[in-house]
Amino acid sequence: MKSFRFSALSGAVALALAFSANHAHAVGVAAGTPIDNTATVDFTVGTVTSTASSNTVQVVVAEILDVDVTAPSAQTQVAPGATGKVLSFRVDNLGNGSEAFLLVANNSVAGSAFDPIAASPAIYIDSGGAPGGTPDVFDSTDIPYVPGGNDPLLIADGHVYVHLVNNIPTTAADGNLGRSTLTATARTGSGAQGTVINGGGTAGTDAVVGVTHALDLAQGEYIVQGVTITVTKSQAVVDQFGGAHPLPGARINYTIVVNSVGTGTAATAVFADNIPAGTLYVAGTLTLNGGPLSDLTDVDAGAYETTPQPRVRVQLGNLSQSSGTQTIQFAVLIDNTP
Amino acid sequence: MIKGTRNILAAAALLAWALSSQAYAQGAQGCILLKSTAEIVKEVVDAKGVKTVTMVPAEKVVPGVEVTWTVTANNVCKQPSEKVTINNAVPAHMSYVASSAFGAGSDITFSLDGKTFGGPAQLTVTENGAARPAHADEYKHIRWVFKDPLAPGASAVARFRAVLN
Repeated sequence: MKSFRFSALSGAVALALAFSANHAHAVGVAAGTPIDNTATVDFTVGTVTSTASSNTVQVVVAEILDVDVTAPSAQTQVAPGATGKVLSFRVDNLGNGSEAFLLVANNSVAGSAFDPIAASPAIYIDSGGAPGGTPDVFDSTDIPYVPGGNDPLLIADGHVYVHLVNNIPTTAADGNLGRSTLTATARTGSGAQGTVINGGGTAGTDAVVGVTHALDLAQGEYIVQGVTITVTKSQAVVDQFGGAHPLPGARINYTIVVNSVGTGTAATAVFADNIPAGTLYVAGTLTLNGGPLSDLTDVDAGAYETTPQPRVRVQLGNLSQSSGTQTIQFAVLIDNTP
Repeated sequence: MIKGTRNILAAAALLAWALSSQAYAQGAQGCILLKSTAEIVKEVVDAKGVKTVTMVPAEKVVPGVEVTWTVTANNVCKQPSEKVTINNAVPAHMSYVASSAFGAGSDITFSLDGKTFGGPAQLTVTENGAARPAHADEYKHIRWVFKDPLAPGASAVARFRAVLN
C-alpha cells in the first residue's frame, strides 16, 4: 500500500515595520489660551499732547479637532492559518488640545481576497515602552483596548501606536491579500469641518472640527506567502530473472519527487514513507538528490527507522520554490516468506 | 490804589488764563474715544446654495483663522485733534498678514522692537550673520499716523488682519 507522510511547519517571514518619517504636525496655540489686545492713540489738542487707550478685546483660542492615522508602510507576510499576526498603526492628535479617540478596527475591506480573523483581544494600545517592553512594537506590555473604557488620551501633537492582532484563514492562498483598517475618531465630536461643539474644548472653550473631520482611517495589509508541496511517487519493479514481475524476492525501486511552488517557505520539511507491508527495506539504498544517505539516525538527512514501524525518513530543511526539486530514492524487496 | 488794582487784575488775568488752560488740558485728555474690535469672517450658505460672507465678533477662534482688528478714534471735543497716531501691538500668538494694514489718510509703519518704526523696506533681521528684510509675520507693532487733523465729531479708522498661530 502506498502511503507516505509529508510534514512541514509553514514558515513566514515578518518584515520589519517601517513608518514614514513625515507625520503631519499639530497646528497652533494651545486651546483655552486668552489673547488680549488694547490699542492706544496719541493726539494733540492745541498745544497739549495726550494719550488714550481703547477697550481691551479678548479672543480665546478654541480647540480644533484633527487626527491622523498612519498604517504600516510595508505588507506583513503571513502563512495560511497563521495566528496572532500584528498590524501596527500610529494615531496622531493634530489638534491644539488634549483629546481622547475612539478606535474601531474593520476586517471586511472590499477587494480583499480574504478577511483577517480578529483575535481576542483584537486591538492593543502600545504601552510606550513599559518595563520589559519595547516602545511602539507589539509586546506583552501592551494593553488590550476597551472602547469607551481606555480610549487613548493624546495631548496636542501627541501620538500613540495601536496594534491590530489577527489570525489568517487556513484557506488563504499564496499571494492573497487580506486587509484591516483602523479608524480613530475624536470623542468630543467629528463631522463637517467647522462644526462647533460649544464648551466642548479644553478649559471650557469651544471645540471646532478641523479639516480632517476629526476622524481618520488607514489600512494595513497581510500578504499570504504560501507554498504548495507536491509529492509524486513512482516505482520500478526488477525481479530476479531480469523481468518486472512483482514476485517474492523481486526488488521495488521507489522514486519520490518533492516539488515546491509558491512564494512561501515550508520550514523544517520532513519526508517519511512506511515500508509497505510484505516488503523489506534494502539497506543502504536511501538517497537524496542522487547522494547516498546512511540508514542510521545520525548527522545526515536520512534514516531507516523501525519504530513505530519500518520506514524511511529524510529531512529536507526549509523548502521553497527556489530550493528546486528534491528527489528521494530507496528500494525494498518483496518478502520471500509467505 | 491803581497799582493795587493792576496787580489784582493781573492776578485775575493770570488766574483766568490758568483756569482756561486747565479746562483746555482736561478737554484734550478726553477728546479721543478709542474703540477696538476683533472680527472674523463667517460664511453663510442659504437654502439655495448662495454664499454670503459677513463679519462677526471673534470670541473663540481656532488656529489658522484670520482675525480682523479695527481701531476707531472718535473726536468728541469741539476742537480738532492733531497728530493723531494710533498704535497697536500685533496680538500675542498671532502673525500679521502682509499688506493688510489700512487707514485712510495715514502713513503706516511697523516695528520689530516697539522702538524703531519703519516701512517694510526698512525693517531688517539678522539671520545666520546676514541681514535680510523682516517678514510680515515678524512685525510686532503697527502705527498709523494720520496726516490731517481730526475734526470735531469725526472718526479715524485703522485696521489690520492677523492669523492665529
